[in-house]
Amino acid sequence: MTSEATTAAAVIGERPGAETASAAVVRPHIHAVGIAVEFPVRRSHRRVRVLSNINLSVPKGGFVSLIGPSGCGKSTLLQVLAGLITPSEGEVQVAGMHPVQASARRLIGLVFQDATLLPWKNALDNVSFLLDVADKSRPRREVRDRAREMLRLVGLEHAAELRPAQLSGGMRQRVAIARALALDPEVLMMDEPFGALDAITREEMTAFLLEIWERTGKTIVLVTHSIDEAVFLSREVHVMATNPARIIETMAVPLGYPRNEDTYAEPAFAHAELRLRRLLKEGHRTGHRQGKPGRADGAGKAER
Amino acid sequence: MSGQAATDEAGNAAGVSEGPGRSLSAGLASAAADNWPTLALLAAVLVAWEALIRLLQVSAFVVPAPSAVFRTLAAKQTQLLDAAWITGGEVLLGFFFSAITGIAVALVIARFDRFGRALYPLVVLFQTVPKVALAPIFILWFGYDLAPKIMLIVVIAFFPVALDMLAGLQSIDPSLVALMRSVGAGRTEILRRVQIPHSLPHLMSGLKIAITFSVIGAVVGEFAGASAGLGYMIQFASTQLDTPLVFAALLEVSVLGVVFFYVVELAERRFVSWVPRYERGHR
Ligand SMILES: Nc1ncnc2c1ncn2[C@@H]1O[C@H](COP(=O)(O)OP(=O)(O)O)[C@@H](O)[C@H]1O
Ligand SMILES: [Mg+2]
Repeated sequence: MTSEATTAAAVIGERPGAETASAAVVRPHIHAVGIAVEFPVRRSHRRVRVLSNINLSVPKGGFVSLIGPSGCGKSTLLQVLAGLITPSEGEVQVAGMHPVQASARRLIGLVFQDATLLPWKNALDNVSFLLDVADKSRPRREVRDRAREMLRLVGLEHAAELRPAQLSGGMRQRVAIARALALDPEVLMMDEPFGALDAITREEMTAFLLEIWERTGKTIVLVTHSIDEAVFLSREVHVMATNPARIIETMAVPLGYPRNEDTYAEPAFAHAELRLRRLLKEGHRTGHRQGKPGRADGAGKAER
Repeated sequence: MSGQAATDEAGNAAGVSEGPGRSLSAGLASAAADNWPTLALLAAVLVAWEALIRLLQVSAFVVPAPSAVFRTLAAKQTQLLDAAWITGGEVLLGFFFSAITGIAVALVIARFDRFGRALYPLVVLFQTVPKVALAPIFILWFGYDLAPKIMLIVVIAFFPVALDMLAGLQSIDPSLVALMRSVGAGRTEILRRVQIPHSLPHLMSGLKIAITFSVIGAVVGEFAGASAGLGYMIQFASTQLDTPLVFAALLEVSVLGVVFFYVVELAERRFVSWVPRYERGHR
């Protein structure tokens, strides 16, 4: 799968390394300031505060992970960044514009935990489907050609005619990634994309994602609850805690790229993992201690 | 949705297969082969029935023996076939309009939230009205022709179509909706490109229920007032105490129902072939 993907990469709008452009450093690619999200509580007039005072900024071509316990608000935050939820407070910019606008311009590609493929379409049509919806002016042939290229990129050109039910979990997730990449987005937002996969496939897909990122230079935001995955892939990890969800720490991963299996054995890797583990534990404790929802943010850390 | 673990990527690729493209005769032959236990059971029941009637010397106008029923079937062949033709026509037309009505109701409820929330309880309320009681009213309104029977079938059979299709339209993965919205698709486009195809398997099960309801509706409609058809024949024969004819007509009604049912099932296999099915060993 790897060798074909390498040759394919040249065809598909490979982007120049983001770091080389000096101007790109100045302005973050994704920028969120003071984000808060409240949801109405069913059968009452109360509102529950799910996210509170989130500040986040991702440079162009960066790879950041959001990590935190289940239900802490990671998916909600990702949906805010993608423009699918309008925050109650704060502002988001993606590529210098409102995320809804960025979405409409196909700058944002989304991947979810379940591949969310259309079971009645084969792999190829699943890849072309979203581009088809997004860009109605583009000729069918061109859309199909692009879909084919994307399938080749994810190493599934041989499975183009197969339906989702005929694909394994890992293959389905590759199709979902190909579908997102078909839009040629600048940003890839992924919500626990490998969460439903077994450990072996998961590791394989992690390496695969890193390869895709290194090749295409997309900005990637990855939601995960796997410490391993977060450290191995990201340049920066945002650690979240609950009640209400907030970013308690942003940790830079002190490892260079390219990374491979050997990376797992590096002392810096183990060290970063340990640090992350401790942060998560601490976040968990303060989150519980703070207890009641709706309390002011940040108080939990000060209490200790 | 993603129940199975996925350790082996390529090995899985050819694993699932389905065969919607079988020819009709081959299909019938294999259906007979598949269903031989059912056929054997049926034969056993008929033999036992025949034996009991003969042993106990039950009079034919109380319960006819299978042989008497088959003799009537042969003797009144043309009469019965004409009646079956008429009833079959009613069933098909009624089923067609039930399907249209059910699909339309489901689409309206799914597409227009507010109106749908208002409409849904009324549809449910309407469903609780005993439809058989409506038959005389329809006769009063529409006369003795085809119209009252079609109307009766529609009010009986649209409901399962509407309910199942709606369930299909609404059971769509929220992430898929998010994905569509993210690229600027509106409600109608999401409905058309994602929700409707997604609902087709549900629709097909609704249609399978609707076709059997349609047969019942046609017979009830003929009971209430008709001058032809299998339902009319059953009623007429029972006033004449011609019980073998009643049974023969009943048999034709059932055969009609079974044939229509399997036609719908065939359509299901053809049009929603992506739904994984477990053909063998599920009974
Ligand atoms: N639409 C919604 N309405 C009300 N509450 C919601 C909604 N979406 C999410 N929540 C709540 O917000 C919290 C965070 O959810 P989510 O972002 O999915 O967490 P995570 O992805 O980290 O597991 C959960 O407690 C969840 O119940
Ligand atoms: Mg989540």
